[in-house]
This record gives sequence, structure tokens and C-alpha cells, in this order.
Amino acid sequence: MINDKHSQKIVDYIQNWSRKHSIWVLAYGTGCGAIEIPPTMTSRYDAERLGVRGAATPRQADVLLITGYLTVKTLKRVIRVYEQMQDPKYVIGFGSCTINGGMYYDSYNTINVLDKYLPVDVYINGCMPRPEAVLSGFAQLQKRIAEGRADGAAQYKENLEWYRANQKRIIPNWVMPEYNW
Amino acid sequence: MKELKENIIQRIKASFADAKERNDFSDNRVDFHVKKETIPSILFYLKEEMGFIHLSHISCVDWLEEGEFELVFIVWSPVDKVKVFVRTRVDRENPVMDNIDMIWRQANTYEREFREMFGIQFTGLVAPDEFILEDWQGPPPFRRDFDTAEYAEKTFWNRPGREDAQDVRETISGRDGEEIPDFAKKYSR
Repeated sequence: MINDKHSQKIVDYIQNWSRKHSIWVLAYGTGCGAIEIPPTMTSRYDAERLGVRGAATPRQADVLLITGYLTVKTLKRVIRVYEQMQDPKYVIGFGSCTINGGMYYDSYNTINVLDKYLPVDVYINGCMPRPEAVLSGFAQLQKRIAEGRADGAAQYKENLEWYRANQKRIIPNWVMPEYNW
Repeated sequence: MKELKENIIQRIKASFADAKERNDFSDNRVDFHVKKETIPSILFYLKEEMGFIHLSHISCVDWLEEGEFELVFIVWSPVDKVKVFVRTRVDRENPVMDNIDMIWRQANTYEREFREMFGIQFTGLVAPDEFILEDWQGPPPFRRDFDTAEYAEKTFWNRPGREDAQDVRETISGRDGEEIPDFAKKYSR
């Protein structure tokens, strides 16, 4: 579209600036961490002053929060939700369980490392992360968006075979639609 | 309460010869151990004749060393305010149990869970398909000889070289320009 390198830079700057100030989070809690979202959103911590607010459907949302442990059964739904989301889209891994399994590291039905199945832009550690930590995670995501480094969705498209192979390795009965993008 | 409990024990023992009772609980609890063939009839008798109309819980205990599963049926009488535990043992190698969902329909939920988590087969179970575990291919996970840690390691594998996650720490610090604090540096390889 814009062949001029400097004009492209300005357009990117404006695009990223506007994206970072309207982070809409999908109202979808997968584990116990979802209980930290209401205090983050309501009056005491008021995440909406950073432009963070809830979105009703995957197609309206920008951020998918994986709040806490993720069972294999839920992972199926999460993959479908993530693939329905439209660009720009980001994933925040929330809590220890998404990083290395946390206290469910030896559970028979929860995954250990989230970024083998979905591209994670920002991890928030803690069990549970308090609302301050959640806001700090959102601030980190805003920083990465502004710098143009929150490119998880592009990585997912590039390495789709690798992600698919990992997903199919733990989901034996694969009944998901195949996308051609 | 004491007379009430004695009365219940006498009535049960008069009708069911194989019932062995325990009555040393200080609260309103009576405990029977019966053979597994007696379970439907004793539960039906408790519900229809003695007013124990509420099925509180069905629980399963894995006695691995004795090679048996113990099923505990807990029923409650809202009139007498007494709860009765009915215990039975099922063979662990061939766990087959009588279905009691014609007495309490809600027993079906417990039975489906035991079928999935312990591998106990209930005769004539309604909807004997997958219940909570989706696409489960391993052994029943609540059995004590199922090693969850080993299974998790095999299924949700670790990347090679990720044992101490030091490479992750260095990558993240290099990417975001953070300094690794001194206390964390000593774990570096």
C-alpha cells in the first residue's frame, strides 16, 4: 500500500498507538484465575482507564486471557476461540499453571506449558496474580504493542504445522475445522 | 438418639443376616457392612420402609493392598435425623456392581463417574458413555496404581534442556532488557 518506508513507520506508529489503548478482553475464564478479573475491572483497580474492557464474543475481542490451569477438554475450546478471533489478537498466560503447570504439574488432565499450543505474548506469573500484577501484565502488553513486538498471531500463522502437531498430540479425537489461512 | 440408633440396627439385622454394624460413633451415624449382592435390597428397604429417603453421597475407596474397591452409600433420614453408611467391597480385578438407579435416579451420575474414574462396571447403566473425561485413552485415573506424575510427564512432555528454565530466564531478560538479579545468577549454567 504505502511504499515509502517513512510513511509506513508513521502509519504503524498510529496503528499501534490506537491498538494499545483499546485492549478488549474476551470474557472467558478457563480456570480459577478468572476470579481476579472482576476486581481488576471494577472500581478499585479500574482497568478501563487503560482501555482494557470486556468483550462478549471472540470476534470482538483482542486479548484472550488464559486464566490459570487449562484442561485438555478446555484447550479444545480455547483453540477454537483463538482461531475465531480476528487480528490483532494477543494471548496473555495468566498464573503459574500456564507457565510450567504450577501446582497441577503432575495432573493427568491439565496441560503444563501453554506456549506449545498457543502463541503467548505476555505471561503474568503468580498463583494467583493479584490485580496489580494483572495490570502490570496489561501495561507490558501495551508496551510490546507500541513497539510492534506483540506478534504472536503472526507466529501462529507461520508455525501452524508445529502448533497443530502439538495440539493433535494431546487431543486424539480431532474434530476441529481446518482453516486455510 | 441412642435408642433410635439401636432400633435401626435391630431392624436392619433382623432383615439382613449379613449386615455387620458399627455403632461406636458419637454422632448420629450408623455404619453397616454388607455383601455386594445385598446392596439394592438393603437400600430399597432403608428408603421405602425406614424413611431414609435422601441419598447423600456414594463414595469409592481403592484398597489396593487388599485388591478391593469399597463403595460407601450414605443415606439420610430427615425425620430421624440419622445417617446410615452402607459399605460393601467389590473385587478389584473384575469390578462389577449392581445398578441402583431404580431406587434413586441421581445415583446414575455417581455410577457414571465411578465407571470412568475407577473402571467399575454397573449392570444396566443408563448412558454408559464418556462423562467428564473427554477422549480419555489411559487407565482409570483415580485408581491408586495409576501414576499421574509419570502419565503427565509422558503426555505433556517437557522440552529438552528446560529442566531449570534458565534459558527462558536469559531469553526474557535479553529480550526486554531486564537485568537478572544477583541471587538468580548463581543458578546459571
